[in-house]
Amino acid sequence: MWDAFGFEFVNFYFIPGLVLGCIYALGAIGITLTFGILRFANFAHGEIMMSGAYLTWTMMAIAGAAGLALHPLVAMVPATFIVILLFLGTDRWFYKPFRKEDTIKVVMASFGMMLIIRSAVQVIWGPNQLTFVPGIARPNATLQQITGDLGAMIIMPNKHIFIFAGTVIIVIALSYLLNRTRIGKAMRAVSDSPDLAHVTGIDVDRVIRATWIVGGICAMAAGVFLAMDIQMLETTMGFRMLLPMFAAAILGGIGKPYGAVFGGLVIGLAEELSAYPWIGDAPLLSPGYKTGVAFAIMVIMLIVRPQGLFKGRSF
Amino acid sequence: MKNVLMATAATLLATSAMADVNIGNPMAMTGPIPDLNAPIAAAVDLAATHVNAQGGMFADGEAFNVIRADSACDPTAAVDAVTKLINVNGVSAIVGPVCSGATIAQAESVAIPAGVLTLSVSASSPAISTMEDGTDLVFRAAASDAYQGVALAELAMANGYSDIAVSYANDDYNAAIAAVFVEAFEGMGGTVTANEAHEPNKASYRSEVATMGGTSDNLALFSYYGSGGITLMRNALETSAFTNFIGADGMLSDELIEQIGAENLMTSTFTTSASDASTPSFAAWAALADEAGVPASDPFVANGYDATFMMALAIEHAGSDDREAIAASLRAIASGPGEVILPGQWAEAKAILAAGGDINYEGAAGNQDFDENGDVAGNFSKSTIVDGAWAAELIQ
Repeated sequence: MWDAFGFEFVNFYFIPGLVLGCIYALGAIGITLTFGILRFANFAHGEIMMSGAYLTWTMMAIAGAAGLALHPLVAMVPATFIVILLFLGTDRWFYKPFRKEDTIKVVMASFGMMLIIRSAVQVIWGPNQLTFVPGIARPNATLQQITGDLGAMIIMPNKHIFIFAGTVIIVIALSYLLNRTRIGKAMRAVSDSPDLAHVTGIDVDRVIRATWIVGGICAMAAGVFLAMDIQMLETTMGFRMLLPMFAAAILGGIGKPYGAVFGGLVIGLAEELSAYPWIGDAPLLSPGYKTGVAFAIMVIMLIVRPQGLFKGRSF
Repeated sequence: MKNVLMATAATLLATSAMADVNIGNPMAMTGPIPDLNAPIAAAVDLAATHVNAQGGMFADGEAFNVIRADSACDPTAAVDAVTKLINVNGVSAIVGPVCSGATIAQAESVAIPAGVLTLSVSASSPAISTMEDGTDLVFRAAASDAYQGVALAELAMANGYSDIAVSYANDDYNAAIAAVFVEAFEGMGGTVTANEAHEPNKASYRSEVATMGGTSDNLALFSYYGSGGITLMRNALETSAFTNFIGADGMLSDELIEQIGAENLMTSTFTTSASDASTPSFAAWAALADEAGVPASDPFVANGYDATFMMALAIEHAGSDDREAIAASLRAIASGPGEVILPGQWAEAKAILAAGGDINYEGAAGNQDFDENGDVAGNFSKSTIVDGAWAAELIQ
């Protein structure tokens, strides 16, 4: 039993909610981009996250065998290239043939891809859980000391600081890409109207490749951050995140990357904060039901404002 | 011509299948507990090997085949797997589902309607005792948690916990043992300060442990290690919400040591179904298991061997692999009267049965005498960390 240092809300509900929100946000960016530009719900997105985390683990293991202890954020860089190739490969061989067909066919193709990737990972790495980082992450002592002196002690392990920093960097880079570069502007144009974009001379295939690359990097980061947080790997870790990430993408507005970030943070916070004892001593909602909160928000959003908070595409 | 060929091929396939005895074995190969499952599966295979090496089934030595499927410790996956085993492979009986939820679901929706016997290797939910209505088709070779929950409550008392918070995963196994534990603990005069379900497979359980952590130093955690148990425990340790942990089989895995670190588990105790190592049956089993490289004392490994061996004995006793006769035969071979048969003594049992005698299988995990619900009694052990590894000690 800890002594309640009066900062329980921030340390045990708000910060964990933000950490979860960051992971949802990064995953939702990829989902919303593919949804906006390629116009289908990519069910394989969670598995791409998962395979990215496994590849990062492999890089760390290879470096470890050579006597080099790599931080996951470093090992993630070479792994990202493999994940991007995987993304581009699945697009070329499994999604492109269906691009002119009904959307449901490519959705089903992505569903099949999800099962293929998960089974492949189970064959290669085995069905057992793998340890990403062993042990217990103790809170960052310096942060605890400084904030403790200020009377608002923040208990936060290093892994969460890395996750926050990583998410902020990726979102800033993404915003630069979308607003300042030609390819980013082309992506937004295709998302708004693919036919018009094509007529104005935008190379749609190039934009699609760029979408997969950006989505791949974000999925990769989301997968590695998730693995850093829970410190282990298992083959359904991506799939479990898929539905909350869809909820985040829909909440923010389909096709709107900032909406996805915002939606991810809202869903992550709502899940954790719903268990806070807002009234009296008992949790507001039994923590066993917190997953339901994400979907309640999504359903209400679809009824009240189907285009999402950031005015995305409505169904 | 083509049709004739097809028909011939089909007949050949059918006859070759009929010449063997096939049992279905849905195991939790993937899912939250692959580590626990692997040695149990090895024990099942070892029992089949012993049967086949010592004369096989019936007078003409038919092969005893174990057809494995993946139940993933999940009710839906178990129903799919067992449907395939029964309808496509045409198995005579099911030895298997490891998890309680999987066992209940497959029995209710597939095995009982098809009239196929289920003998679970490790499902321990008390709900399984009373699930049947008028049939006698669900058995298990592991003891019910109606006993383990009480043993755990006694352990908590013995450890000096006067109050405890309870967190359980919302599934058939964990919710059931948590309910037994809470009732027993309160009955012994303890206080349960919080009793909350948690959803499996979440990335973070910090709000759960924060909500409960203010109420007690002690946590009774009922969860599968691979679907949230490790994460919840890690979150509880990271935030110092709890100091002492107790729990049951679902958490007892080397994976826990690897992931969390033995130094962080010094205040944890987990119980599991265990064998009484002083019996001649266990000695016979341990010798066979050591020879085959199977870890004899790991959770439910002996039960897996017993279940498979008893199923083979029951089919041998029934004299055919027809589904109907197996249940009555299973009761006949498992308890007295009759010659005592120890693990691995297939040739002896076969000879006695051929001569029309009775046998009484005394299993590696316990005497394996089924009561009217198809349950067996059992022993439990508690495991704590000694020198960086789990060390088990028999408690009951």
